Amino acid sequence: MPRLHVDRLRSGDGSEDEYRVVERTGLAAWDATTALTVVGRPYPRVEGAEKVTGRACYAGDVRLAGLLHARVLRSPLPHARIRRIDTAAAEALPGVHAVLGTHSAPAIRWYPDGLLFDRTLRFVGDEVAAVAAESEETAADALRLVAVEYEPLPFVVGLEAALRPEAPPVREGGNLVGPPKVYARGDAEAALREAPVVIDETYTTQTALHNCLEPHGCTATWDGERLTLWDSTQSVFDVRERVAETLGLPEHRVRVIKHHMGGGFGSKQIAWKHAVIAALLARRAGRPVRLMLDREAENLAAGNRNATRQRVRLGATRDGTLTAISARIEQDTGAYLVGGEGSNTSAIYQTLYRCPNVTTEQVGVYTNTGPAVAFRAPGHVEGAFALESAMDELARALDMDPLALRLRNYAEADQRRGRPYTTPDGLRLCYERAAAEFGWRRDRRPSGQGSRRRGIGMAAHDWGGSGYPPGYAWVKLNGDGSAEVVTGTQDIGTGTRTGLTQIAAEELGLPLERVLLHLGDTATGVYAPVSAGSATQATIGPAVRAAAAEARRQLLEAAATMLEAAPADLQLREGTIRVAGAPDRALDVADVTRRIAPHMIQGHGARGPNPDGKAVRTFGAQCVEVEVDVDTGEVSVLRVVASHECGRIVNPTLVDSQVLGAVTQGVGFALMEERVVDAGGVVLNANLEEYKVPTAPDVPAVVHARVDRPDPEANATGAKGIGEPPLVPTAPAIANAVFDAVGVRIRHTPLSRRRLLAALAAHRPEPA
Amino acid sequence: MRPFAYASPRTADEIIALLTPGSAGADGASRPLAGGTDLLTLMKADVATPSRLVDIKRAGLPKGIEETPPGLVVGGLTTLAQIETHPAVRARYPALAEATAVAATAQLRNVATVAGNLLQRPRCWYFRNPRIACWLKGGDHCPARDGENQLHAILGGGPCHAVHPSDVAPALVALDADARLRGPGGERTVPVEGLFAAPEGGRRRETLVGSDELLLALRLPPADGSRSTYLKSMDRKVWAFALAGVAARLRLDGRRVAEARIVLGGVAPVPWRAHEAERALEGAEAGPAAWDRAANAALTGAAPLRHNAYKLPLARALVRRALESLAT
Repeated sequence: MPRLHVDRLRSGDGSEDEYRVVERTGLAAWDATTALTVVGRPYPRVEGAEKVTGRACYAGDVRLAGLLHARVLRSPLPHARIRRIDTAAAEALPGVHAVLGTHSAPAIRWYPDGLLFDRTLRFVGDEVAAVAAESEETAADALRLVAVEYEPLPFVVGLEAALRPEAPPVREGGNLVGPPKVYARGDAEAALREAPVVIDETYTTQTALHNCLEPHGCTATWDGERLTLWDSTQSVFDVRERVAETLGLPEHRVRVIKHHMGGGFGSKQIAWKHAVIAALLARRAGRPVRLMLDREAENLAAGNRNATRQRVRLGATRDGTLTAISARIEQDTGAYLVGGEGSNTSAIYQTLYRCPNVTTEQVGVYTNTGPAVAFRAPGHVEGAFALESAMDELARALDMDPLALRLRNYAEADQRRGRPYTTPDGLRLCYERAAAEFGWRRDRRPSGQGSRRRGIGMAAHDWGGSGYPPGYAWVKLNGDGSAEVVTGTQDIGTGTRTGLTQIAAEELGLPLERVLLHLGDTATGVYAPVSAGSATQATIGPAVRAAAAEARRQLLEAAATMLEAAPADLQLREGTIRVAGAPDRALDVADVTRRIAPHMIQGHGARGPNPDGKAVRTFGAQCVEVEVDVDTGEVSVLRVVASHECGRIVNPTLVDSQVLGAVTQGVGFALMEERVVDAGGVVLNANLEEYKVPTAPDVPAVVHARVDRPDPEANATGAKGIGEPPLVPTAPAIANAVFDAVGVRIRHTPLSRRRLLAALAAHRPEPA
Repeated sequence: MRPFAYASPRTADEIIALLTPGSAGADGASRPLAGGTDLLTLMKADVATPSRLVDIKRAGLPKGIEETPPGLVVGGLTTLAQIETHPAVRARYPALAEATAVAATAQLRNVATVAGNLLQRPRCWYFRNPRIACWLKGGDHCPARDGENQLHAILGGGPCHAVHPSDVAPALVALDADARLRGPGGERTVPVEGLFAAPEGGRRRETLVGSDELLLALRLPPADGSRSTYLKSMDRKVWAFALAGVAARLRLDGRRVAEARIVLGGVAPVPWRAHEAERALEGAEAGPAAWDRAANAALTGAAPLRHNAYKLPLARALVRRALESLAT
């Protein structure tokens, strides 16, 4: 039986004590010597056929009898107070069944200091009213009939403007989200004063939009006092908790379902207003309601990656030893703190390199634009662009190879907490594999003909991805020897279903097709945390393995009686149970389960604790070759070699997919993606025409130089996360390669043709 | 999108009658519908609010490419995909083939017509945003002039600073193509260049084609030994409107330039005929010196806004590159 371990966490600030419960399973971890047959194989996605044939049901695909369609009226002004709102004409329009607005909706708290429908509006796109009607078109017509009188208020757009002393306040109390978050070890200022070589530069990163293929939204239906929501979310349990709390329902009367996901990238890791609005409209109308955001709303009001301004100072000795790292970071939080994981841009400065003197100071700034939310490796992508560009600048200043500089400052421990890494050589392996596959050489000169110049660049990163308790799974064996796995996690498109099924099949000794996994349903699944922080495989994988191990134990005990052998002498592989040393004494798993049916073997599994005294991290390095056309400012990324240490690779195809997808997003972040807000506060490119994401020809050949080495200290499967990490180093590696090619340092993303041509005009490079 | 009526007449006369304000059955707010790739997006953005769409695809209007040696006639309803893949266009009018091939996406080119492409409205993000009043939509000023004008005009701007988005138009102007139009008063033929005029005064549109006129067909004169090309720069590799484009045509007599056409796209409210560059080329000896002179002359009079000065070196580079490619 699992042992329950209850920790009391004293908060120390007078608030209620927290208790953390961790179950210890006692399973020996799969390490590098464990022979595995299902885990590690490149199975195609188990739901692949459903997706490519269009049968996969997403949040907006649910078709219920009497379904209504909702649309949301959004603020046309960046900062305003609603003086008067009149929805009578909208309500009178034939086909309209429910209208909600600040005058008629319950006063539900939202954000730290607002309401679901608030009289104060703080960005263009803020929710004013909502309508449910027979069709989306009717709902849109009804929105045009809502008469609103706005009192415009002074507003501010952009980080720099919001920080000026005379800036209009986004809310009472000013535009700083709070006091700066300060971290210090050693004395960075003193070390900078004494350092023989100092880099002191300011970098900026843009506001980037997630642009999930499937927008935010849900379908809501009531059955008496029971609410079911099909929500496009990264956390069915968090949405259930928030919706139950705001509507005053007990949690068991709220069911949240998420079967398939068209991308979240962090923007769906919290409960958003749409879920509550849809539930309220459905209750008012007495009919189910579908509320999916359109592309514009998605890009105004469903989160973004915060823009940053980062002043970075590095101090080093002449041999390239870092003596000081200092970063002052300002980031554009937008109009509200929406909750969820904010960008911790400081973190990478504190950990990526061995350095005794580190200071970071980070402050969030309110502006009258859409709120920021986590976006795939939030903070790390922004921080890595600045830090890894600065490291390249330092290497140039020292006339040192950028790889040699990084190796000289290699960190084998988490310096924040003074704990060694479980894989202290993880990043070194990535450097070696990436450099070898790429052909990284110090003496390589930029090349190219005419106006087209080629250059190479690299960047590194660390990240979490350890997973953490709690998280649970069940396994049940059916009479025919098939197995079902039940967990409350969700597959946000990464292939979680497939990876977890492989874990279960491996432990159960069954072929993959004899195992089916159910997830994404709070009514049937056991608790699993939000799918974020690249944590899902490393959190739920061990829980699934533990549940399968428990079922396997019971199965072998039953088989032992039938085979007249001790359970310890039985071997279970590919659906067959054999007595060791007696090959003719064997049973199919189905023979055992059929004979004991209708008894059902059930296994419960929990995620065990992370190791004491050690830090579990993921690492990576990427090398990039670009070609820059100095006449047109066009940057072509020719190839990317990516190497990432994420522990055991459960499914190589799915991990390759994460690398390819992340590098693609990295190319977009580096070269073209940027939200543009007019001085009047209107987003000018909240669409896929003007907000440029990479197309297939923009994406280079990506080689994934796999590391694939189990980290058995991390958890019982040895696997860690890979969802976010491969995005982190792509942009700085590209910027460093651009510098290598043309000798111009661009310290601002994206490196658009406009920026590049302006920089090249200011600094014509010497002819090659 | 707001509700609208729909008609699908079988003859050109019926179409024109429906489009003509004051005529029987017309209500003054009908718009012709062909590929719909521009009009429907304008309607979805609430920029165009026609009371009726008149489908012009079922009235037997010219569609497809007819070889009329030594020239060519392209029906107004011809899709960009048909043009892009037509052997005679590719062989004799490469600027047109290249311009269509780099426009939009394969899916859009399969439905977008050449007439619709020439008569499309600007992609200006102020013009297209229903939350913003701009001069072109009847407002009192152009918000791009002092705003986010990175994609806007460096030549001929004001009172509207949007650029003409077509890739095909500069190519057709460079090829000296004519357009055959039909309206309530009958047919007329004008140079393609004459279809366009920068918006001004009470005419808040980029074309001189009447709202009751149909662009029936385009006539391409004999290539006559000319070489032509179209080059385009975008913010990504494909599927974007031009930051700058150039259609260039040269007829060489030995090493001398006998005739030149340089037409810029994406930099002015209309396809921009660079007369000064053409004058700099005609009679000159083919070579880098002439190309440089022409590239500089092409931007004569340029007045960049705060965020779009990059378009000057970009357009110059494209002109130089286009001329180089034609002379080798």
